Amino acid sequence: MSRQDKVTINQLPTGVPGLDEILGGGLPEFSFNIIAGAPGSGKTTLAHQIVFANATPERPALYFTILGEPAIKMLRYQQQYTFFDQAKLNNAVRFINLSQIVLEQDLNAVLEEIAKEVEKASPGIVVVDSFRTVVRKALSGSNELELQSFIQRLALLLTSWQATTFLVGEYVEGEIRDNPVFTVSDGLLWLYQSSDRNSILRKLQIVKLRGQGSVPGLHTFRITNGGLQAFSRTLGLGGQQRKMASTRRLSTGIPKLDAMLGGGIPEGDSVLVAGASGTGKSVLATQFIAEGIRQGDPGIVVVFEERPQEYAGRAGNFGLDLETPQHERKLEILYLRPLDLSVDETMREILDAVRKIGAKRLVIDSLAGFEMALAPSFRTEFRESLYRMITALTGIGVTILSTVEMDESFTEFPFSTYSISFLTDDIIRLRYVSIDGQLRKILVVIKMRGGKHSNDIREYEITSAGMVVSDDRLTGYQGLITGIPVRLNRPGQKEKPAREPKPKS
Amino acid sequence: MTPTVSRDLAGHLLAYEAAAGKDSEPTESAAFRVCEKLRQPLCSLAGVAGFRSLLSRALALARAEAPSLSAVQVGADGSLKGLDELGPQRDTDKAMEGGALLIAQLLGLLLLFIGEGITLRLVQDVWPESAFDDRDSGKEKRA
Repeated sequence: MSRQDKVTINQLPTGVPGLDEILGGGLPEFSFNIIAGAPGSGKTTLAHQIVFANATPERPALYFTILGEPAIKMLRYQQQYTFFDQAKLNNAVRFINLSQIVLEQDLNAVLEEIAKEVEKASPGIVVVDSFRTVVRKALSGSNELELQSFIQRLALLLTSWQATTFLVGEYVEGEIRDNPVFTVSDGLLWLYQSSDRNSILRKLQIVKLRGQGSVPGLHTFRITNGGLQAFSRTLGLGGQQRKMASTRRLSTGIPKLDAMLGGGIPEGDSVLVAGASGTGKSVLATQFIAEGIRQGDPGIVVVFEERPQEYAGRAGNFGLDLETPQHERKLEILYLRPLDLSVDETMREILDAVRKIGAKRLVIDSLAGFEMALAPSFRTEFRESLYRMITALTGIGVTILSTVEMDESFTEFPFSTYSISFLTDDIIRLRYVSIDGQLRKILVVIKMRGGKHSNDIREYEITSAGMVVSDDRLTGYQGLITGIPVRLNRPGQKEKPAREPKPKS
Repeated sequence: MTPTVSRDLAGHLLAYEAAAGKDSEPTESAAFRVCEKLRQPLCSLAGVAGFRSLLSRALALARAEAPSLSAVQVGADGSLKGLDELGPQRDTDKAMEGGALLIAQLLGLLLLFIGEGITLRLVQDVWPESAFDDRDSGKEKRA
């Protein structure tokens, strides 16, 4: 059989942003699916989104309600979502209540009623909500074989009538085994909801999907007034080709730092700027983004600890205008502060912004703020999530500069608190150092994956023009990186007088 | 939508059914026919039990204003019993008022629960030939 002889399985949109991507393109047409999950996990809302995304007067959607949420209440609540199109009701979307038949009659009567309605309407989509009720009823009065036969006949009927079917049910994971519903189904979409401290986490998984490859694993989703929105673990970049490696070097806007970096930051690198509070990490990051805009590279700044206006205002103190480029759509400052974000959701926002303005540079200020904005359980996966995020973004050619706050230690010299140094291509370490009765600042380029860099330990200052790095390396001291250096008294060496600190304007 | 609007809508449907029923079903009240016509789609949507609950509530609300409805009951299948057996009252204003109140309360409940848009759509599906746009009249009244 040649490739051309294969049957083409059309894919239907789910109407859920991000979910088609996770499904591998959409819902396989004529498939027989289960939407499972605990109460309140969003099953009915998902079914409605699918229904409204696909139903037409020619190929309507039949929504069979059975002893679950009363239909009147379901309509009352579901119409609040923006996807709910009243114009489709009774025309393209039809609700049919089967409660009485289920209560009073047997499975054959239920099947007959469904068949009658399906043959009358020739629907494109059929939903049975809740199918769990049907199963419970069946198991109370008949044996398991009868139930299996019923499900088999239902699947046959609906597939033969070219309907894509969704059986909605409240199941727990242990029920997957030996349950005929799960055996017969082509697709199994599981929705989870859990609380972690004060946050609610929603995740979904495509447990099974015949005929096409879906993105494995758990994906976070959110329910807003637009319905469900899913965030793929691969951020929709799974099949995307990595951008060819660039030889371009990006200026940080600090010429002497560029020189230390061997000409600037290699494009597409992930740079970590680590240092204690007040060492100038954000100043460096702001200069990096402002320099990019000056050179025609649009940028994104993701802030967690201050609002965009404050961030832009602070940049203004260093003579950097971040207001104008925002109006010109060359810069976007994203403020992400909710405390129950998932990394995938954050990434979606960042990626959307990157695509919107064609960003080449991205600043994450700071990783500590990012971690705090996540729901507690996502914090445990922070390192893995960062890896996915950095890989995804650098893969599309974005150069990332992240700041990370370090506790200043005078006995060690760590690069980051997250053990993520291996994730980054380049590390710039800023630190305080006690010299001649002054708390001064030094910087070191710790590593650069893309090539040679200066090994100098340079002093720098934060002035009204931003970060100013000294011309020469700091000599005459031993143990600078401990923060408490010892002066070397070499013969013939001139002693430098202690400088008066310049006030930051 | 205000109760006035549901009364207007009920009045419109009753008038339509009264005119339509003069020749076809002269022995049935217009309220009974309106109720029967709403029963089918509402049973399909909400189930017989769901429709019965709504109609029973509407009847209880209407009875408070029209004691003549005290003999009227909702059957197991959601049909109205006794609306046409109001005896000597049948053609009186009181009986008509009772029927109109019952329909207005039923529509009022639908408006309350599923909103104006879906209720009007549902009504329009049942009486497609009845060209009315209560939405406009309702808005005018509210304005």
